[in-house]
Amino acid sequence: MTAFLNSWRVAWRITRLNFKARLEYRGEFLMGVAVGAIWQVSIIVFASVLLTRFPGLGGWSSTDVLLIASMRMLAHGLYVLFLGRVQYMNILVQEGIVDPCLIRPMPVYRQIQLTFFPVNAIGDLVVAVGLFVAALQRSSLDWTAGRIAYVVAGVIGGMLVEAALFTALAAAAFHFPATSYWSQWLEELMGTFGSYPLSILPKAVSAAFTFVVPLAFIAYFPAGVLTGHGGDMGVPEVLAVASPFIGLTAFVLSRLLWNWSLGKYTGVNG
Amino acid sequence: MSTTAALASRARRIASITPRGELLAPPRMTATALRLLVQVCLVVHLWRGLYAHTDSSAGLNETQAVTYAVLAVLANRIRGLDRSAGRDMVIQHLRFGTIVYWYLRPMSPRRYYALRALGDQLYGFGWVLAGYVLSLAVGVVVPPSSYEVAAVFAVSMLLGQLVLYYVMMLVDLLCFWTLRNEAALLILVFAQNLLSGVYAPLWYFPDWFITLSAFLPFQATLGVPLSIYVGRIGVDDAFAQMAVQVVWIVLLALLTRWLWDRAGRRVVAQGG
Repeated sequence: MTAFLNSWRVAWRITRLNFKARLEYRGEFLMGVAVGAIWQVSIIVFASVLLTRFPGLGGWSSTDVLLIASMRMLAHGLYVLFLGRVQYMNILVQEGIVDPCLIRPMPVYRQIQLTFFPVNAIGDLVVAVGLFVAALQRSSLDWTAGRIAYVVAGVIGGMLVEAALFTALAAAAFHFPATSYWSQWLEELMGTFGSYPLSILPKAVSAAFTFVVPLAFIAYFPAGVLTGHGGDMGVPEVLAVASPFIGLTAFVLSRLLWNWSLGKYTGVNG
Repeated sequence: MSTTAALASRARRIASITPRGELLAPPRMTATALRLLVQVCLVVHLWRGLYAHTDSSAGLNETQAVTYAVLAVLANRIRGLDRSAGRDMVIQHLRFGTIVYWYLRPMSPRRYYALRALGDQLYGFGWVLAGYVLSLAVGVVVPPSSYEVAAVFAVSMLLGQLVLYYVMMLVDLLCFWTLRNEAALLILVFAQNLLSGVYAPLWYFPDWFITLSAFLPFQATLGVPLSIYVGRIGVDDAFAQMAVQVVWIVLLALLTRWLWDRAGRRVVAQGG
């Protein structure tokens, strides 16, 4: 227990130092916060444009679509804050920065997450919370303790699904370091289609977004369960309800894959 | 070999650096093709879904909206080459100190930059053309309504690419003054995408937003040519918009020329 607490104390100290390091460049720090905020504002602008110009989307009212967008944004903000550095894995492998991590007395995955402090997550989360509050205010749902608990579980599950996808891609970077294209694409897909009802897409595509690249579990299914669309999302309702658990399972599996890939890592620097 | 032929040969070699790098990485090209294909399919379904219960919005019908959105996805590929993998972005050269080589060659950095950008844009245009022909064949994009519209669109698109070239150059030149500016670069790239109409045609946005973007160069890069293509801007009104594009090209050309002169005096090789 003491060893466990000590290891997290070290992680906390490193995070504080990382934060101080980012503060050394004040202008860049503020710009970093702005990047996160502006990026998410773009989703709000786009979503609000669509929702004010069009009556709804794929059988969902604009208020319900707003709940999907806000839950995805919150999940994404939390992912960037806690687990997002895994996306830089390909660069760490290419530049040989992973190699010294192998001989330090701390799990490599944790070291990767402590590489730097993600300033843009602050902007991401500020805007996400704002949008989420707006979605709750517009929602006509009765917010019981059960629903609130499910929203929290859904957002955490969404964060874990996103982390699982990028961790799996990071595992691939151990073998083939040129994964940046795929990583950018995955981010693009999530940004574009993670915030809307997948019922607008053909069945084959929405099935791919459920079972191949499981975007649907990030926000679409949890929001659908909350808003009463559980039965008409193209999957058994029990699967949609289990989204938070599936997020956790996906993350655990991706970590196992990552550990296996780390074991196979031979370095790219000769 | 004559001097002109030698210069042309050199220019061709410089322009082909990034495309040749791409050709050496087939997985990257596969990824690009797959990414474009999927993105186009998804965008088509998104806009068709939005128009399922409405015939027209902001002066655009479903066909116009889908055509605009698909062309925007394709056009975004024109400057979509990944130079960072080859450590060949201006900010990377400045950080690694290799920018000094730009100033040691028997060619001005400005001309070298222009030739590299030309190669990038021509290579990207190849992708766009392939995507456009395929989209036309499967019917997700409609052809221009007349030869006149097609001609005006082609000129406007060319002007838009020039504006885009200068905007991207401005972003790169910013690196000479700021050593840590990834965030600023991201904001500029984002502003370019939002205000040019890549995310959604500007016609859907509130009036204040359209007024604001009228004072910025971004919509001249993509929004104007694509609006001409789909007929949202008529041929008669197009000439005024193209005049604005030309004004932006002249202003940005003068500004970037002035900045190149000053940038050279600031070059510091950090451990390079």
